[in-house]
Amino acid sequence: MTQKPHESDLLCGPVGQLIQNQRIIVCCGAGGVGKTTTSAALALAGARAKRRVLVLTIDPSKRLAETLGVSQNPPAPVPLSEERLAAARIRPPGHLDAWLLSPQQVADAAVNRLSSSPEERARFLQNRIYQQVSQMLAGMHEYTAMEALHRLLAEGRYDLVILDTPPSRNALDFLEAPGRLASLLDQRIFRALLPKKGGLLSRAASKIAQKGLSAALGEQFAEEFIAFMATFSSIFHFLNQDLKEMRAFLSGPDAAFLLVTSPARASLEEGFYFQSRAQELRLPFKGFILNRSSIRADDAEAEDAARLARLTMTPELESGLKKLDALAQAERAQARRDVEVLQELRRRAGDRGFALSVPDFAHEGSDMELLIASAQALCGAGQTTSQR
Amino acid sequence: MTDRTTLDDFLDRRVWLVTGKGGVGRTVLAAACALYAARQGKRVVLTELGDVAERQSPLARIFGRDLLPEGENPMPIVDGIDGHGFGHGRLLGVRLLALTGQEQYLRTVLPSRALVRAVLASEALRRLAVAGPSLRELGIFYQLLSLVRSRRPDGSPEHELIVADMPATGHTLSLTGLPERLLHLIRSGPIHDQLIEGQSYLNDPAKTAGFTVTLPETLPISECLDLIAGLEETRVPVGAVLVNRVPVDPFTSAERAALTPLLTASTRPGATCFRRYPQSHAELARLRQSLPSTPIFEIPELLGIEGQSDRGLVERLSQLLGSREDRRPMATLSPSPLTAALSPMASPALLAPCT
Repeated sequence: MTQKPHESDLLCGPVGQLIQNQRIIVCCGAGGVGKTTTSAALALAGARAKRRVLVLTIDPSKRLAETLGVSQNPPAPVPLSEERLAAARIRPPGHLDAWLLSPQQVADAAVNRLSSSPEERARFLQNRIYQQVSQMLAGMHEYTAMEALHRLLAEGRYDLVILDTPPSRNALDFLEAPGRLASLLDQRIFRALLPKKGGLLSRAASKIAQKGLSAALGEQFAEEFIAFMATFSSIFHFLNQDLKEMRAFLSGPDAAFLLVTSPARASLEEGFYFQSRAQELRLPFKGFILNRSSIRADDAEAEDAARLARLTMTPELESGLKKLDALAQAERAQARRDVEVLQELRRRAGDRGFALSVPDFAHEGSDMELLIASAQALCGAGQTTSQR
Repeated sequence: MTDRTTLDDFLDRRVWLVTGKGGVGRTVLAAACALYAARQGKRVVLTELGDVAERQSPLARIFGRDLLPEGENPMPIVDGIDGHGFGHGRLLGVRLLALTGQEQYLRTVLPSRALVRAVLASEALRRLAVAGPSLRELGIFYQLLSLVRSRRPDGSPEHELIVADMPATGHTLSLTGLPERLLHLIRSGPIHDQLIEGQSYLNDPAKTAGFTVTLPETLPISECLDLIAGLEETRVPVGAVLVNRVPVDPFTSAERAALTPLLTASTRPGATCFRRYPQSHAELARLRQSLPSTPIFEIPELLGIEGQSDRGLVERLSQLLGSREDRRPMATLSPSPLTAALSPMASPALLAPCT
């Protein structure tokens, strides 16, 4: 469907630069904008550019797994099969692993690594609240993504990690949810619930708090709850520290944030809000990717005329062509609107940022073809034409 | 049964949970469903699951505001629907917030108002309420339950129908799975009782209908089937699937045959659309085959909605929702392959938003 690219095509354009130079690219965006596909396409482009790439996702949907042919929730990153590497034209040293994280597994690994004694570990793993921690603790998905990223980068197995942020209505959840989780470690909570030291007064106060908690939660759940909180704080006390380190890394020169959006107004507004928040947080926001746009580079007029010349005109063909014209007009009108959107994104991105568009490939061929087409659209020469 | 079922068959339920992945038009359809039910004479509350950190919500934007009203009591969100030609129908809105529900709950379980005040005043406990395991979901759950059970002096429900615009798949399932998950941990006590009462509404097909919104495309249909399996696992009665933006093929089969040699693998404008109709047809067939006993409502793609407000879109969709699925209300519609019928667009609302 698209012309075969030269190797060099893959590297021009702003995204081509990013996949060559960064160590982390974080793909953010509201739900349903094609973030997961974009992440996978970026990873594919990186591997085709001979980098060792990991794409990390916590998307509970199966689609990326199916496209890349890896199972869900494996304990470690899974390499793409030989067959798929070949189909994607990835050659050594280029390499592509995918990891569909299970938050519970990451949490388990952290507990195993960090508990101070086997008893503490056993106590925590057996706590029934902990056993469902990824379902029960808001921010756990986002936190585990950060935690896994932290570890993978320390290991240095990958040149580039593409992070597909967990699905949520708000693109910002990824940045803000882990902080909410860390607020569980607020010392005031523990002073209120579990005073180990302190005078008569604070012990009396915690008695009241505990009483309130058992009245609200029921005695049995309150007990389990307090036990969970106590162990959680002792095992995850580093959480705040970790988050600080990760934030620092994500603000540094090795990371890049991309915002994926659709032409829909709500998605755009979300994107603008994200951009301003990212800038407030001093995160390296690099650009917008306008996904599912109707902007096409070529109209294929010449090819079209040649094909048409070979057909015999019939009444059906004639009426069909008339209807097709109406469709084409609607398509061009939509493309014009999308061009305006793209221009708006460029204005917002400013001199140091970029905005580029990727056509809707949803109806074109297999999943792997879709990824290859998206990778080319993201990094390829096509972008220079639409960037005038 | 399936080809005769309409939205009207669900008007006697108490709760509609509108689910679906992002980008399929779930929020706009949730609003359209609520508007439709209000026009049919129901006292309706439109809700969404809020978060304290949010500054605006797409659902609220439809009604020309940043956020839906907060608090225990739902408030009017549009003028002109309360007693203006809709019989007894009414459309209110409220944002379900963990803190509101938690406060309501604490008032019922704590022995004294002083204790409630003390708990709410404690910064530590407030933080715990936001971040503690499942406490946020419990708050939202409790507020929803309170809406369902609030009664008028004559014993009839204050809010006959609660329409909830549910969040992304994962969050939806973590909420619908909450009672089951917690009942496993909590065998008695006040939360246990609330959860059981909640289940008596949310798991009863006579009281709750889950609607799943999707698009007639490969990935959305696959994800819709996953979501429905997840809802069934958490014992939410699945009412219907709403397939949004179904393109209506303008070509006759003879025209299609004549054009095929021209358009196969072509990048000509219009070619993508041409190829799209048979694909969405095939996807719809797959959906029907996978869910033989679930009603499937097709909502045709709307033409000429560019520049129309979300509010206007919701208006048109609510009209479409009332029609039977076996007769398509196509008189005013023609196929628009490119127009994402439900892509939200910001512009002034048709009906003046309340202040």
